[in-house]
Amino acid sequence: MQDNRMDLHTEPLILNMGPSHPATHGTVRFLLKMDGERILHCETEIGYLHRGFEKHCENGTWTQAFPYTDRLNYNSAIQNNVAYALAAEKLLGITDKMPDRCTAVRTIMCELARLADHYTNLGAATLELGALTAFLYFVEARELVWDLIESVCGARLTSNYVRIGGLATDLPEGFDAHVKQVFAKNRELWVEFDKLLTKNRIFLDRMRDTGAISKEDAIAYGFTGPCLRAAGVEYDVRKANPYLLYADLDFDVPVGFTGDNFDRYLIRMEEINQSIRIIEQLLTKLPKGPINVDNPAVRNPSKEAVKSVMESMIHHFKNTIEGIKIPAGEAYVPTEGSNGEVGFYLVSTGGGKPWKCRVRPPCFALTQAMGQMVQGAFLSDIIPTFDMINLIGGECDR
Amino acid sequence: MFDYTYLPEMNLIPYLAEMMVKIVFIFSMNMGVFAPLLGWVERKQSALMQDRIGANRADIFGFTVFGLLHTLTDAIKLLTKEDFIPRGADRTLHYLAPFIAVVPALVAFAVIPFGGQYELWGHKANLVIADLDVGMLYIFAVASVGTYGAVIAGWASNNNWSLLGGIRVGAQMLSYEVAMGLTLVGIFMVYGTLRMTEIGAAQENFFHWGIFLQPVGFFLFIACALAENKRTPFDIPEAESELIAGYFTEYSGLKFAMFWMAEFLEMVTISAVLVALFFGGWQIPFVSHQMLADFFGFLGPNLAQVVTMLIHVGVFWAKVCLWIFILMLIRWTLPRFRYDQVMKLGWKIILPLALINIAVTGAVILLVR
Amino acid sequence: MAGQYKKVNRGVTLTLWERLYIPEVLRGIMITAGHFFPNLISTAKAYITGKPEQRKIMTIYYPEELPTIPEAYRGRPVLVRGADGKEKCVACGLCEVACPPKCISLTGGMRDDGTRYPTTYTLNGAVCIFCGLCEEACPEEAIVMSHDYQNLCEYDRSLMVYDKEALLIPQEKLTRRLDYIRRRMYSKCNY
Repeated sequence: MQDNRMDLHTEPLILNMGPSHPATHGTVRFLLKMDGERILHCETEIGYLHRGFEKHCENGTWTQAFPYTDRLNYNSAIQNNVAYALAAEKLLGITDKMPDRCTAVRTIMCELARLADHYTNLGAATLELGALTAFLYFVEARELVWDLIESVCGARLTSNYVRIGGLATDLPEGFDAHVKQVFAKNRELWVEFDKLLTKNRIFLDRMRDTGAISKEDAIAYGFTGPCLRAAGVEYDVRKANPYLLYADLDFDVPVGFTGDNFDRYLIRMEEINQSIRIIEQLLTKLPKGPINVDNPAVRNPSKEAVKSVMESMIHHFKNTIEGIKIPAGEAYVPTEGSNGEVGFYLVSTGGGKPWKCRVRPPCFALTQAMGQMVQGAFLSDIIPTFDMINLIGGECDR
Repeated sequence: MFDYTYLPEMNLIPYLAEMMVKIVFIFSMNMGVFAPLLGWVERKQSALMQDRIGANRADIFGFTVFGLLHTLTDAIKLLTKEDFIPRGADRTLHYLAPFIAVVPALVAFAVIPFGGQYELWGHKANLVIADLDVGMLYIFAVASVGTYGAVIAGWASNNNWSLLGGIRVGAQMLSYEVAMGLTLVGIFMVYGTLRMTEIGAAQENFFHWGIFLQPVGFFLFIACALAENKRTPFDIPEAESELIAGYFTEYSGLKFAMFWMAEFLEMVTISAVLVALFFGGWQIPFVSHQMLADFFGFLGPNLAQVVTMLIHVGVFWAKVCLWIFILMLIRWTLPRFRYDQVMKLGWKIILPLALINIAVTGAVILLVR
Repeated sequence: MAGQYKKVNRGVTLTLWERLYIPEVLRGIMITAGHFFPNLISTAKAYITGKPEQRKIMTIYYPEELPTIPEAYRGRPVLVRGADGKEKCVACGLCEVACPPKCISLTGGMRDDGTRYPTTYTLNGAVCIFCGLCEEACPEEAIVMSHDYQNLCEYDRSLMVYDKEALLIPQEKLTRRLDYIRRRMYSKCNY
């Protein structure tokens, strides 16, 4: 029989998904070519949230870049702080001299940020699949984690917590008890969320075998983080290239099989448990002592010293006005952000300002694969795929 | 020619009076109580399910009345909002669509009995507006008209998202109407009638409730009914994260309110149909009409009937409210299907199961006889 | 290094019974209803007894009930008015330099007794990002992040520019924050 479809004159539907569309949070635009519900071609346009982060950093001192790093991946701001501080400390050559407590607290805060990020991401994914109640259970869990972060650094989102050569503040009194209380509640919420979704057939059908990407393609695109591990690649910066205290910690890294959305979902669910495990380990053996390096040229001296010692006063003024003097050179420290590898490539010419501050955002590499991942899929498949990629506009567009 | 024999031979005045009372009652229940209140119930119920408080900011002199005033502010907002018609839209159809959507939702209630038959002062009162012998078919027919409203809205808006929503709604509603009709065939076979009042009367015995006679049919019907209602998990025509708002993306003001109202009224209708067909209608388990009338016999025969009638009507609406609660629980618990999965569920699962159900029901009826 | 890469349990196999949607729907409803009824009862109880802390709900009635703010909280930056009624600020200008979005501007002057003070001090609240770097830079503990977070927004941006009078807060009202930064943030034990 002759195929009559060839006689019909049809043309694909061009659909602009975004930049202001409920699902394209973080302002991204998909230019879709549709055949009915099928996607023939998907072109991703980013850049709607570009605000010149790298130029901002070059115009301020090394310390003044910290508030801006908060605004990259605002779900896990502290991880950006830490990544930036680690790169700067590598340039300074004081990586080995960091106090034990500082490193331990940084690790705890990184994992808390990872918790907050995964809660938000998984919650938002279910929200967009229509399960608003599950979303709000994880938002509740995230709020509790944010309460913890707020009690440490004074803000929920824009933490501005880490400094080059130390931390802004020490952990508050009663932090252990607060963490225990929060984790008890969060475990309950995790179980409820898991029961609501993981074996729910509607959810499974939406997630399984959608947005899949092969191991080779994932590596070729430069995937990192949960999305790469979902494709079956055993790569986690915390294991492959340990920084902070991760080498001494006992934790597992979940790895998936096929690289579809369901694997990504499962990996994030498991990483929540592992992060809780890491934090609980660290809290049992949290070292006492200082949180800042004893080097007034790097870290502002204490206020008591500033008021009483002339040299400290001078260092304080010089550090603030001219910025910390970082020796000329360039450095990059990869860290495992909740969404993939986060790293800052810093170039210094010996002045008080970064000469170049380039950030490697994980979701930039993930977003470029969107077109391939939804090729030939349904319009509705964009939603879970885009959610599991976890594009953060602030980080991707910088 | 037209058959006039169905008209009552008795005098017309009490008949018309009874009719007016019933119409006003149903209309005020739907438009005055359920349409505005369900918005509030939905907000507050979802809030409590999600560990939130829910809308509570609208107040008059500091009295928020648990957020009930939000329904009032909603009404004021929707009435005073600009009625926006996008450029290039078909103005006539754009105006027409919300009416086509809301009217069927209202008139479908006409054949649903909200009480039994009572003899009051010599007048036989039948608590249903139109006691059609094709009762359930009438509901199917009217409900399928409602589909046009959504499809026309999607077409007339001159917006790609609306169009996609319109296509989805057309496909979904047509598929599920077929399945819905077949799921109920079992019920009609069991009770041997399409007349809703007779089905209701047949459920006087608790163990003759539809849920016990047709358990499979019940689950299939509830799935179809949810799909007809276009709420999560079947809200793909308006999936807010995919299609913004689907077929009513371009509607605002009172026309938007009409779609909104249609959705809530459909929910009431579905609950009422569920109650009438599967949950004994106005009947109370283990308490027959006669037992109630005898219990209140000390009031005299007429007053006893009045009290029985009021209890029955109350029971019916209580059951409807319970079902609305359950439907809302489902709506706020589940994620959404995908377009092809909805089609697959409708054509490949529900339809064959409904056919099997019919065959099994027929076999069992034959065996029992 | 303990712990290793572990495969996730992807093999969620559904039995025929589970594939029928019904058990999952029922289980989901059990969970959400398990939130609904305790919340309903506890909220009703709290309403009757007038004790909002009895509610098992995450959120609060915001303007009527206020959340507890941790000591570390960074609210609106304010200038400290010392015990003698004078501003503690000595107009050294470090905050002006340290501010990343450059929202502070000040001019210094000399009092009759020879101490320096700011003759004008402007903080543009519409530009401020509440990072707390001014507080960290200040050698005199004269500018601190207060626990103010209400009524900071205006319809007119010019109303969000705070002058010296709007910024000066007596020391006694800031003891919680001052005590915290002395104890936890800039104390000697941290170095």
